[in-house]
Amino acid sequence: MRLLLSAELLKLVKQSKTYYALGAILVIELLILITAYFQGSTILDLLLDNLKQSFYFEGTLLNGNLIMYIVLNALWFNVPLILMIVTSGIVTDEYKDGTMQTVMLQAVKKWKFILAKYIIAVLFTILVISFMMATTFMLAYSIFGSGDLVVYLNTLNFFESADAFHRICWAFASGAVSMVFYCVVSLTLAIFIKEAAKTWIAAALFLIINTLLLKVDFVIPAINSFFFPKLIDTWQQLFYYEIDWRQILINNALLLLYTLAFAAAGTFVFHKKDIG
Amino acid sequence: MIRTIIIFLLFSAQFVQAQQIDQDLLRIKKRMDSVKQFSASLILDLDVPFIKMPTKTAKVNYAIGQKMKFASDDFVMLPKRGLDFSLSEIFKYPFITVDRGAEKRNGRVIKVINIIPTTNQSDLALATIYMDTKAVRVVQSEINTRKEGSYTLMMTYAQLKDILPAYVEATFAIEKLKIPLNFMGKGTSIDRKKMRSMETKTGKIKMRITNYNIKY
Repeated sequence: MRLLLSAELLKLVKQSKTYYALGAILVIELLILITAYFQGSTILDLLLDNLKQSFYFEGTLLNGNLIMYIVLNALWFNVPLILMIVTSGIVTDEYKDGTMQTVMLQAVKKWKFILAKYIIAVLFTILVISFMMATTFMLAYSIFGSGDLVVYLNTLNFFESADAFHRICWAFASGAVSMVFYCVVSLTLAIFIKEAAKTWIAAALFLIINTLLLKVDFVIPAINSFFFPKLIDTWQQLFYYEIDWRQILINNALLLLYTLAFAAAGTFVFHKKDIG
Repeated sequence: MIRTIIIFLLFSAQFVQAQQIDQDLLRIKKRMDSVKQFSASLILDLDVPFIKMPTKTAKVNYAIGQKMKFASDDFVMLPKRGLDFSLSEIFKYPFITVDRGAEKRNGRVIKVINIIPTTNQSDLALATIYMDTKAVRVVQSEINTRKEGSYTLMMTYAQLKDILPAYVEATFAIEKLKIPLNFMGKGTSIDRKKMRSMETKTGKIKMRITNYNIKY
């Protein structure tokens, strides 16, 4: 298994697609940072407009933490798209290049082979999120400095700088679980579809439908609470004034179960299917 | 009959003009004016239904004839009105006072007066001042302004001799929050019924004032 993992890791490191993905994320980040700055001042003007009648404000809210929060809101659609393209390529490229047959001629167990791909895809996702987190923090804090964060989630919530930083870190951790889910789904789709372009379309469609379903009220509470599209934005709960850690933990645990289910389905289908 | 009414109106007008500014208020103002400069630490707690904010700290600096200056490491919201301990805002334009009697509070006699500006230049529409005449200080004021709404100030003092309050509670009306849609989290729901009922709410800011450094 260790050899399979190192082989997969080598493939990921060697392929130029990986670096294109990292570059694309950096470009997206920069663009979002620029728009977040302008969006941020407009948001603050609107949010604090009626408070200006009664209060003087001392200190600024247009800081790195607000920018980070706006970036967090914007990233969770663009980043999974890039991740899904890269991770699905781990399987589709093998089919395209015909290397899948070559590997299967060796004494390699099919389930172990595909499991190694899943593990590498997950590790790559975590690496990308860590890279994203480090670069956004660096850019946001070095350009805009730190300070209190204001967020509107049913109430206008103010968080002190240190508290905001912790919440943003946890939001990245929770967001990483959602990203892992997306990349596992894309890998499973790649096993089913085999062709790169078709897999990308299916993965993008899955992402769009998921994003749309997130806003739909399914009336039945169980669906609203446990259906996977509803679990994707659990990170947002970290910005309620009182954090419901239990709910966040349950949501992330459920999403991990869905992730395992998708991975199990993919492994099962790959194991049963003929290579060709 | 008409003659009687005219005579009554003339006398009434003269009576209003003849009203003097309340002597107790002048005594308080004089005492307040003896404070040439002060600095203090503020601990602020905001109590507004749709705002959640942790307790904040700030420093305040005041010098006679100048606006109060605040400094804080955090983002703080300070009430625009309510920190005018010197009553300079009220004394800026001419006014008359009307004695509204007295009431007892915590065993102390509190004199109540109305302040009515006599010029349109003043932003003040009407103020009700509750004075502890023995301690020569204001304990409560209800201010109605033309442009900045109404607010009430409750002042508590640490000691009988204190000239400046140790605790101030400012109550004010606050308009509903306007929410930019693009700033709402995906999980945010809009309860229209609740939003409508929130059009005007009462907010409170509680200020604990410590470490006074007063120069007379």
